Amino acid sequence: MIRPAEILLVEDSPGDIRLTMEALKGSRITNNLHIVTDGVEAIDFLMKREKYVDAPTPDLILLDLNLPKKSGFEVLSEIKESIQLRVIPVVVLTTSQSERDILLSYEMHVNCFVSKPVEFDAFFNVIRTIEDFWFTIVKLPKQ
Amino acid sequence: MKSDSEEQKKSDDNLQRIIKELSDYKYAIDESSIVAITDQKGIIKHANDNFCKISKYSREELIGQDHRIINSGFHPKEFIRDIWTTIANGKIWKGELKNKAKDGTIYWVDTTIVPFLNEDGKPYQYVAIRADITERKRVEENLEKSLKEVLDYKYALDESSIVAITDQKGIIKYVNDNFCKISKYTREELIGQDHRIVNSAYHPKEFIRELWTTIANGKIWRGDIKNKTKDGTTYWVETTIVPFLNEHGKPYQYVAIRADITQRKLTEEQLSRNIKELERSNKELEQFAYIASHDLQEPLRMVGSYMQLLERRYKGKLDKDADDFIHFAMDGATRMKQLIGDLLNYSRMNKEGLIEPVNMNEVMHEVMQNLSASTKESGASVHFSDLPVIEADRTQMVQLLQNLISNAIKFRKEEIPSLINIKTEKQESKWLFSVSDNGIGIEGQYSEKVFIIFKQLHTKAKYSGTGIGLAIAKKITERHGGTIWFESEFGKGTTFFFTLNAKTTLPLNINS
Repeated sequence: MIRPAEILLVEDSPGDIRLTMEALKGSRITNNLHIVTDGVEAIDFLMKREKYVDAPTPDLILLDLNLPKKSGFEVLSEIKESIQLRVIPVVVLTTSQSERDILLSYEMHVNCFVSKPVEFDAFFNVIRTIEDFWFTIVKLPKQ
Repeated sequence: MKSDSEEQKKSDDNLQRIIKELSDYKYAIDESSIVAITDQKGIIKHANDNFCKISKYSREELIGQDHRIINSGFHPKEFIRDIWTTIANGKIWKGELKNKAKDGTIYWVDTTIVPFLNEDGKPYQYVAIRADITERKRVEENLEKSLKEVLDYKYALDESSIVAITDQKGIIKYVNDNFCKISKYTREELIGQDHRIVNSAYHPKEFIRELWTTIANGKIWRGDIKNKTKDGTTYWVETTIVPFLNEHGKPYQYVAIRADITQRKLTEEQLSRNIKELERSNKELEQFAYIASHDLQEPLRMVGSYMQLLERRYKGKLDKDADDFIHFAMDGATRMKQLIGDLLNYSRMNKEGLIEPVNMNEVMHEVMQNLSASTKESGASVHFSDLPVIEADRTQMVQLLQNLISNAIKFRKEEIPSLINIKTEKQESKWLFSVSDNGIGIEGQYSEKVFIIFKQLHTKAKYSGTGIGLAIAKKITERHGGTIWFESEFGKGTTFFFTLNAKTTLPLNINS
């Protein structure tokens, strides 16, 4: 039996959280969407600390850059510096289109950088495509 | 007897000698002077050659004439009366007279009139001995005229300007009233002082040194100087310092001529403060527009997305009203998105800017590609050929032409196919572009409004758009050192003109 895909969404905007949930709702892949709303919580989740002791290791991380407490860049850098965590693919999902942000993300070994489309349909498509790509096309390491 | 004849002879000899002496004198006087003899009434009895020569009358014309024949009418009556009173009283008169020759020309003579008296002590004749001083008088008159001119100049200068004269060391030798007035020192306080008494310490040392080097080398210095009055307030003077050189070519004095420009300087300072303030607020506004439009996108995305989600899930499941409401809300969100996008574009205009040689033909091809859908749909034809290569921001050139051409297509006439021509003409340091169409035209009263951001002349229902296209076009041309305007005949078509610097130097990138 195939276990459901574990996805961690690091996002502080409730509107975007809900939209992502809606987009994933009708998806072909069974998934568990875990949500944290700031950078500190994200690291706690990944390190299985505090209330996240029993949290699963995610198969994919969707990371916003603009986050309270700890920025998306800080979270990204901690993930990619950790031997255990850096195997997890990280998709930066942000409204930013700045060349600087894009370059910096890749310099910090992001797996891919995606701009949140303004159009609703496009946003749905992007979420579906990300899911599709990382869970049906890409081979990920067995945990 | 012998003694008698001897005495007679002696006396004859004496007489001979005296006559000889007298005739020598006469000869010398006739050679050197102008001599005339009149009777007691002024009738000429004798005139020597010099008199004839200077008066240009012959002796025959003069003898028997009243001496007034040579009066010039120059001297007042009192002056003439005084001469006659003097000589009629048996006294010698000396003076300068202006006389008139036969041909009307004027001459000056230095004159001595000696009256000769009879035994009653009354004059029976007058001998006038004169010297020609016409040339001296002419020189004197010229001198006097020049002197008067110089005095007039000085008067005018003193009235208009602030004047000071210093020696070669800068010690004040002379100041005029205006200098005292503006500096608030009395003349006594200034004369003998070093000119630095009015220094305000405003100017850097190099500035003062340059001034002194210039004038010490005998050159004129010009500039604006801020000086200090006795009470410590300051004033600005536009200054010209002229060095005067001695025979060795070294300055022995400096004349400084100044004009009070304090008010002008204050205005200039105010102006430059205002400009700085304007630049700052302009920059702030642009920053604001950028941040506002950027940050507005986020909540707008939420509104738009959830409206769409509503529509997708509930269209046809509620009632007709609900469908209408969702439609209007979504329409509003779409328009707002367009506006924010445009605003963001507009405020970005100042941010980018790689200036490179741009082939405007290639730019037009790109524009045509971008507009291919609308040209196909409208059947518009766009003509251009031999466009120049200019130094510009390529992206902005595409945007500029695209905005103008898409406007021309948008505001076309329905009954005839749209025809658009792009032409260029080289001017002195600029290129003049024109984009002309055969569309609906623009009414004259709107000529100022069309370039204002978000100004639209037509209803949303008839022509879509946010009204930013021409505002952006204006900003682009201005950034490239040009201007934009149009000529239009309502109902017949419009031609937009814009100029671009042939060589562009962009203003400093204020946002980066």
